[in-house]
Amino acid sequence: MKYLYTYPEKCTGCKLCALACSLKHFGECNPKMGAINIVRDEFERYEIQFVCLQCDDAECVRVCTKKALRKEGNVVIRDEKKCIRCRMCVVACPYAGVHSFKGKIIKCDTCGGDPLCVKFCSTGALKWEEESMEITERRKRLASALLKR
Amino acid sequence: MVLRRKLAIVDLSKEKVTVQDVPNSLRKALFGGRGMNVYYLYKMLGDNVDPLSPDNILIFGTGLMTGTLAPCSGRFNTTSKSPESGFLADTNCGGYFAPELKYAGFERLIIKGKAKKPVILHVTDNNIEIKDAKDYWGQTTNEAQKRIRQDLGPVEMVLCGPAGENLVRFACVRTGVKNAGGRTGLGCVMGSKNLKAVAAYGTQGLQVAHPDRMIQKVEELKNYLMSSKITPILGSVGTLLLYEVSNAFGGIRTKNSTLNAWRDDHNAAFAEPFIEKMIACQACPVHCRHRNVFGGEGPEYTTLVLLGANIGMEKYEEIIKLGNLVNDLGLDVSSTGTYLAWAIDLYQQGKLDKKLTDGEELRWGDYEQAVRIINKIARREGFGNILAEGNRAAAKLGDPNKDYLIAVKDIPQSDPHDVRYMKAFALGIATASRGADHLRSRPTLEIFFKLPLEVKERIYGKGVTADPTSYDGKALVVTWSERIFATIDCLEMCKFICHGFNSPHFVDYSWMKELVYCVTGWEMSEAEVSEVGRRTVDLERLFNFKQGMTEAHDTLPRRYFDDPSPLRAARGHHIDRQKFAKMKAEFYALHGWTEDGRVPEERRMELEAIQ
Ligand code: SF4
Ligand code: SF4
Ligand code: SF4
Repeated sequence: MKYLYTYPEKCTGCKLCALACSLKHFGECNPKMGAINIVRDEFERYEIQFVCLQCDDAECVRVCTKKALRKEGNVVIRDEKKCIRCRMCVVACPYAGVHSFKGKIIKCDTCGGDPLCVKFCSTGALKWEEESMEITERRKRLASALLKR
Repeated sequence: MVLRRKLAIVDLSKEKVTVQDVPNSLRKALFGGRGMNVYYLYKMLGDNVDPLSPDNILIFGTGLMTGTLAPCSGRFNTTSKSPESGFLADTNCGGYFAPELKYAGFERLIIKGKAKKPVILHVTDNNIEIKDAKDYWGQTTNEAQKRIRQDLGPVEMVLCGPAGENLVRFACVRTGVKNAGGRTGLGCVMGSKNLKAVAAYGTQGLQVAHPDRMIQKVEELKNYLMSSKITPILGSVGTLLLYEVSNAFGGIRTKNSTLNAWRDDHNAAFAEPFIEKMIACQACPVHCRHRNVFGGEGPEYTTLVLLGANIGMEKYEEIIKLGNLVNDLGLDVSSTGTYLAWAIDLYQQGKLDKKLTDGEELRWGDYEQAVRIINKIARREGFGNILAEGNRAAAKLGDPNKDYLIAVKDIPQSDPHDVRYMKAFALGIATASRGADHLRSRPTLEIFFKLPLEVKERIYGKGVTADPTSYDGKALVVTWSERIFATIDCLEMCKFICHGFNSPHFVDYSWMKELVYCVTGWEMSEAEVSEVGRRTVDLERLFNFKQGMTEAHDTLPRRYFDDPSPLRAARGHHIDRQKFAKMKAEFYALHGWTEDGRVPEERRMELEAIQ
C-alpha cells in the first residue's frame, strides 16, 4: 500500500507543497489552507511537515458522530455533505493531521492517489511510497549512521 | 484576488492609517515591487528632504507574484531616500514576511512621519495597529523577533536592529535570521522614524485568474529549473559557489583591493563542516540558504569575501561568526566589510591616528578586533561612532577625497568581485541606480569564460564579445541584464532563477508573460513585459537626478582606474578612463538617455503620466 511519507530533515520550509495543495483544493494560494502544513521557525531552527497519516484505526473516524469520515483503501475520506464542522476530528487526531481554518475542515485526500504536493517538493522531503520501501529506506539510513560511529 | 490587495499609508506623526485601492493600470505598467516603490517615492517625496527627517518616506512593497505559487516569490522591496548616499535607497529581500503582508490584505505600506516614541506596526487581516515598542527597542534582530512572536503569535516581521535604532548610516532591514534588505541604509531610516518592526499575519489567500494552468505551468517551470546543472549546486553551497571561479582568475576583493585574490581554502567545499542544513525562502525550490552551526545563517558569498578576504580574515569559522554578528546587529554586510577594510588600509598607510581608534592598532585578519569594532559601530561608541557615519567619515579618517574607499555614489561596493578584469562588471557597478551595486545588472555569465559566443549573442544580441577584458559590447550586456533584473524585481521573484543571472536558461520574458497570465489573466507580449523593467530603470534615474545626481556620479572607485590588479590572470588589468567613458556613452545611448545621462523630457512626461 502506498502512503505519503514526510522527511523533516530534508524539508527546507518553502511551503510549495502547501501552496500547491491550497491552490488545487480551494482555488487560492494560501499555505495556511494546505492539507499539508509546514511549521517552521528559523530562530528555533526547524522545519516540519504536518499531514494526515491515513491511520488504519483512526481516531478521527472513531470520534466522528456523523460518520463523515471513513477509511477506504489507504485513505481516510471525509464526506463534505455529512460533515457538520464540529471539529471533533481536529481535536482528536493525535498527529495534528487534520485542521480547521476559516470554517473549513482541511484533511489530505492523497489527491486520489496522485499527490500534488510530492510533485512540488524539490528535496525529496515528501514521498509517495510503498510502506515496505519506506521502512527499508529508514533502516538503511539508520544502519549507515550506526556504522559511522 | 491578487489584484485587490491594498496600499496603506501610515503617518507615524499623526498616528493615522489610510487605506487605498490600487489602479490596475499602474500594476500593468510596473507590476509592483521595485517599480511601483520608486514610482511612489518619485511622486511623493518632496524636494531637498533630509533622509533622516520625518519628511522622508519608507516603502515596503510586494510584487505581482509575491505569495503565489510562482517559484521564489517570497520577496519584497524596501525603498526610500538613502541616508548613506542621499540618492535612491532600495533593496530586495526574500524570506516569509512579504507573502504574510499580502495574506493580510496589503500589497504595499508607505510610512511617513516619525513616531513620538518607538513603535511597531502590527498588521492583521485588513487592519494595521500602531503599538508600543518599548519591550523590543534596543534588542538585536534575533532577540526582538523572538520576543515579538511570543507577544503576537506566529507573525512574520521586517525590522531594524540596534544599528538602525542608533542611526548607523548603513543599517539594514532584516526579516528572519539572515534575510536582509541590506544596502543603502534602510534600517537607519526605520530607526529615524522610531519604527522598530512591522509584524504581519494574514489569513486571506490569493486567488489567481487561472489556477489549474498555474499549477501545471509552475510544475513545468519547477522541473525545468531543477533539471539544470547549476540548481543542485546552488542548493547545496548557495552563493559560495562563486568564490572559486572568481578567486582563480584574481577577481576577489582582498584587503581593500590592495590585492585581488585570497586563500583557495575558502572555496565552497570548505564551508561544509559548518553547515547544518540548507533552507529556503517561501515558494523556493532552490534552497540556497545555509543554516550554520554557530547559531545563525550564511555565509553568503558577500559575507565570505567582505568580512573575509577584504579584511584579511584567514579562518572560515571566524568569517561565519562575524557574519552572524553583523546580521544580528542589523548592519549591512557589504558596507560593514568595506568600511572596515578602508579603515584598516588607511591605518596601515599611516593616515589614521591611534587617538581616533580608541588606541587600537588596526590590523588585517584580527578577529577579536573586528568583533569589538563591529559592536561599537552598531552602538555608536568611540571609534564605532565615527565609522557609523560611513563615507561621511572620510575627512576624519584622513582620506577626504575617498581615494581609497571602494564605493560608487557613496555606497560601498556590494559585490565581492574586483572588477578591474571584468569590464562589464565595472560598467554595471558604475551606473547602477543604488551605488556600487552588482544586483542591478551583474552579467554573471561573463565569468563563465567557456560559454560560446553564439550563446551570448542569442541572449544579449549581436555585438557582444567573448572576452571579459574587452570593452566592446559590454554596454549591451549590462543594459540587457539591468532590464530583465528590474522586471523580475517588479514581479518579486528571485534573481537566482532569472534568465542570465546564474544560467543562460531559466525565467525569461516568455516565462514571465506566462506567469503574469496565470495570476492576472492579462495577455501581455514579451516586449510589453520587458517594458516594465525599462520603466523602472528610467524612473530610478529620474529620481536620482532629481536628488542631484549627475553623469559624473557614474564612475568607479579611483583604485580601479589607477592601480592595476597585482595577482593571477587579472594581473596588470585596470580600467582605462577613456575606454570606460566610451563604454558609458554607449550605455546611455542604448537607454535612450542624453549624452549627459539624463532621461529625455518626453520620456519623463510619459512616465509621470502613469497612474
Ligand atoms: S486525521 Fe489524524 S487520526 Fe485521522 S487518519 Fe489522519 S492522522 Fe489518523
Ligand atoms: S496529497 Fe494532495 S491533498 Fe494531500 S497534502 Fe498533498 S496535495 Fe494536499
Ligand atoms: S515542498 Fe518539500 S521542502 Fe518545501 S515545505 Fe513542502 S515538504 Fe518542505
